Amino acid sequence: MSNRLNINFLGKKLNNPIMTASGCFGYGLEYKDYFNPNELGAAVLKGITMEPRNGNSGTRIAETPSGMLNSVGLENPGIEEFKKIIPSIKKELHIPLVANINGKILEEYIEIAREVEQIEEIEIVELNISCPNVKDGGMAFGANPEMARLVTREVRKVLTKPMIVKLSPNVTNIVEIAKIVEEEGADGVALINTLLGMAVDIRKRKPVLGNIMGGLSGPAVKPVALRMIYQVSQAVSIPILGMGGISSTEDAIEFIMVGASAISLGTGMFANPTLPIEIKKGLEKYCKENNIDNISEIVGAAHPDGGAAYRNRLGGNYEIKS
Amino acid sequence: MFLEDVKIIENIQIADNYYLMRVEGDKIPEHSKPGQFFMLQCQDRSRVLRRPISLHNVDGNILEFYYESLGKGTEEFTKLPIGETINIQGPLGNGYDTDLEGKNIVVIGGGMGMAPIKYLIKNLKDNNKVTFIGGGRNAGAVKIIEKFNFENIKIEVATDDGSVGIKGNTVDLLMKILKDQNIDIIYTCGPHPMMEAVAKVAQENNIRCQISLEERMACGIKACVGCSILTKKGMKKVCYDGPVFESTDIVDLDVIDPNGGCK
Repeated sequence: MSNRLNINFLGKKLNNPIMTASGCFGYGLEYKDYFNPNELGAAVLKGITMEPRNGNSGTRIAETPSGMLNSVGLENPGIEEFKKIIPSIKKELHIPLVANINGKILEEYIEIAREVEQIEEIEIVELNISCPNVKDGGMAFGANPEMARLVTREVRKVLTKPMIVKLSPNVTNIVEIAKIVEEEGADGVALINTLLGMAVDIRKRKPVLGNIMGGLSGPAVKPVALRMIYQVSQAVSIPILGMGGISSTEDAIEFIMVGASAISLGTGMFANPTLPIEIKKGLEKYCKENNIDNISEIVGAAHPDGGAAYRNRLGGNYEIKS
Repeated sequence: MFLEDVKIIENIQIADNYYLMRVEGDKIPEHSKPGQFFMLQCQDRSRVLRRPISLHNVDGNILEFYYESLGKGTEEFTKLPIGETINIQGPLGNGYDTDLEGKNIVVIGGGMGMAPIKYLIKNLKDNNKVTFIGGGRNAGAVKIIEKFNFENIKIEVATDDGSVGIKGNTVDLLMKILKDQNIDIIYTCGPHPMMEAVAKVAQENNIRCQISLEERMACGIKACVGCSILTKKGMKKVCYDGPVFESTDIVDLDVIDPNGGCK
């Protein structure tokens, strides 16, 4: 393998820009019967909260045209259990592990940030202010610019590890929120989280999901994700972890060309559990055929200036902000 | 577990919306257990999720899936011709406990719940005494039983409309058996109200009972946490911890929603 796919993401050297999307890859080992998870650039683990959560009741999954709705509601074993299982995960996963953290209230975000700061095996933290499936916290933080500012600022104070803030697409102005979290010290932004949606069972005359509404993901949201990454990457100077319906090499290249430095796979893996390997091979082939020495050369290539300004702002080497 | 394109060698309508698909592949695992399932991929990729289909039988390198055409995805499966390939992922989940000898067992299948029954009986019949109770709305719902072809198995059938077997339900037949025999274990798969009733009878009579739950799922391997249910042992994934559970592990059978999940 060449070095064409090696990237420097938030100061971490990744073997390739392919990551997983939180909530779609369990705690890192669930897919190991289908591919070696160490082939990924990094693994973003299932979101955690301070206390264990049972998540939402009733039906949690619904398929929609070219997509799916989920209303899992952050079911997770809580930080204490997470701390217990992480060492065994790290024994098998030698790639950077990304913890996705969530809170209901500001204090909980701060508290859990303090906890993950202490977990040696966690190299990067994804601050989730965009879960559409929990009543408190979650999207409430991500949809309100001032709340997004506050939570990013306060978490930054207790977190020295690289921090990605995962943004909600369920806002009027995604660029505004992205700029705010950048100002408050985010090292990167992840977008997009799921779009709030619903489905109705016409035989039962009621919503399919127990929680009525859920997060829409899959190829159906890809154009929205591309648009938002395109907009945000022209306004910020931090790298973007792009996701939203990637299910082929071509999709991955589109995401990189609109401004994503790395990509995450979610729903696409449910249909095709070996998708990361296919995309890895596909990106390698694409670079080779197009004489691209390193994949980061095409970050933002679809911008009006071919991405030169954005890549220049990123500096090609995404240093961690102090 | 494997992921493979397998060749369809038979895909026939059994009755109504019930179909039987037989596929042949190279990596068909001999270790797959009754009650496990496979995730079948749709050819129309606008359907992003695979369909979880119970393993009906294993015969050498041939797998059988008994399935119901319920929506556009499964309807697509019904139209797949012989010779076509389909991508399957599995075997997944935790199957029935078949490591038994000398037991007096009742196996109860209702409607589509007949899906894992053939393979289950096949694995139990040689070392145990097995009585099978099949039930359904009408003759079509129990027609698959004709293809079971088991010797030395007592088969009793009940239909809602009385078109085949007795007019009644599987629980009526179970109660009748319990009057005359000591049953060690009951295995069941079928509609929620039926399994709930069976589990209650089992619990009242202090008989071990394994039930197979159904839930909408995305990944099939506990990565998406979409199919969790609340059990006595905490949140469990139907795809991974199940679909077969000990009936006593379910906190309260009343909390199992007929459409899956916990209310």
